[in-house]
Amino acid sequence: MLLLALSFGAYLFSLVKKPFLYIGLILQTAYIISRGFSLGRLPLVGPHDTIAFLSASLIAFSIPFSVILKKQPLFHNGLAITASAFTVFSLISKQNNAPLPPVLKTLWFESHVVLAFLSYALFGIAAILGYFYLREKDDNAEGLQYRAILIGYCLFTLSIVFGGVWAYLAWGTYWLWTPKELWTSILWLFYGLHLHARLRQWWTDRMLAYLGIAGFAVVLFTYLGVSLLMKSSHSF
Amino acid sequence: MKPLKNITGFFFSLRTTLWSLFLLVAMFLAGAFIMPAREEFQTIHSAPFSQWLARQPLSVTWWLWCSLGILLILTVNTLFCSIESIVKKRKGTNLLLLISPQVIHIVFLFILFAHLLSSAGGLSVVAAANEGTMFGISAENDFLRIRDISIFASPDGYISDWEVNIEYLSGQGVILTDKIKPNQPSLQMGLNVNVKDITARPYKAVLLQISKDPGASWALAGGILFTIGIVTLIIFRMKTERISSRSTSLPHKP
Repeated sequence: MLLLALSFGAYLFSLVKKPFLYIGLILQTAYIISRGFSLGRLPLVGPHDTIAFLSASLIAFSIPFSVILKKQPLFHNGLAITASAFTVFSLISKQNNAPLPPVLKTLWFESHVVLAFLSYALFGIAAILGYFYLREKDDNAEGLQYRAILIGYCLFTLSIVFGGVWAYLAWGTYWLWTPKELWTSILWLFYGLHLHARLRQWWTDRMLAYLGIAGFAVVLFTYLGVSLLMKSSHSF
Repeated sequence: MKPLKNITGFFFSLRTTLWSLFLLVAMFLAGAFIMPAREEFQTIHSAPFSQWLARQPLSVTWWLWCSLGILLILTVNTLFCSIESIVKKRKGTNLLLLISPQVIHIVFLFILFAHLLSSAGGLSVVAAANEGTMFGISAENDFLRIRDISIFASPDGYISDWEVNIEYLSGQGVILTDKIKPNQPSLQMGLNVNVKDITARPYKAVLLQISKDPGASWALAGGILFTIGIVTLIIFRMKTERISSRSTSLPHKP
């Protein structure tokens, strides 16, 4: 937990000294790896571990975007604040140290979860880029937001495919009508709408930026809201 | 001729795609709040989806019916737009870049078809069983028998693994044997036999689920096609799309 607490400090301090963002990433990665070794499994069960992974993925994926944007302070600060908030949430969430139930011991589950959180991280970056575009009117940000969403959408769809295969093997069907699956469909359709809207000139870059920000709100509800508030196959 | 032109124009339009997606999101959002609040949805997996839907009051399933209507429009729209795109850009130099988005569109149709098949012919039966229990699994006197159940526990008492040996029988006796393990169902005779729950006390027993999902192979084919299409799309799109060139790189659609 010390490494995680230190990573939180590093993310916050990066608002003053930028390189601390990457020190935070290294600390958080070290924490995730140490959790994996101590548990003897992929540490991706429950909000504590998943949100730490989301936070680290957010910063890791942001590196190429930061390079292209030449470390714009607003984008950097957006990342630092988001990563700090996620890390706090991880710190206050209860750790799940129980061994995995047999049904979760499969590469399908691990791939499903890893891909889902990598896509969430890219959608998070897209939202920050959307905010950055609205504030700075930098055309690069719009193009980068599109790339983040396109790759995130692909990873998210692959996550659904892997989840479907796993569900078929574990529960006999690739699709269950539960709130989580419904919200997953909403998220998938929403970003599908975003990618298609970009093809129409009528949709201004400004509207797409807002759509990218709204999308991340749907992501957060799909991930945390549904898992914490509703009964589903993905409850924490 | 004008009404026909209007109809084809409607289905060829990207505007139709956007409105359909927007309305679908709106319907699913409505459903996301209706579903947890209504007890009718507790029985949604008890029968093929189409049969379940037909039996429920419209006041709780209106959003599903509306979604089906919108999906129908979206299906025709996807077909029309994909064909139009291939015809318009067929002289382009990069064939892979041209067809990879269309492959993803086809995947969308595969998934819809998979859901259609599953909702029409899917079934799922759950029953508690212990060693020696026998079930009828078809009208042709085919049976399934639980031969033995093995449960392995970790030193701290958690179930770490399990294994259920089963036999398929017909009039002539045992026709084949199989083993069910976590994430390894028995896939024989067009059925998926898996264990939903298992217990060691007071005696070894399982909650066995026997299901049939005719859409699963289509969904899997869609998943594989999607993976191929998306890898191709990302590789070629990233190469060709300039970051800030939205106005020059994208087609002007009505």
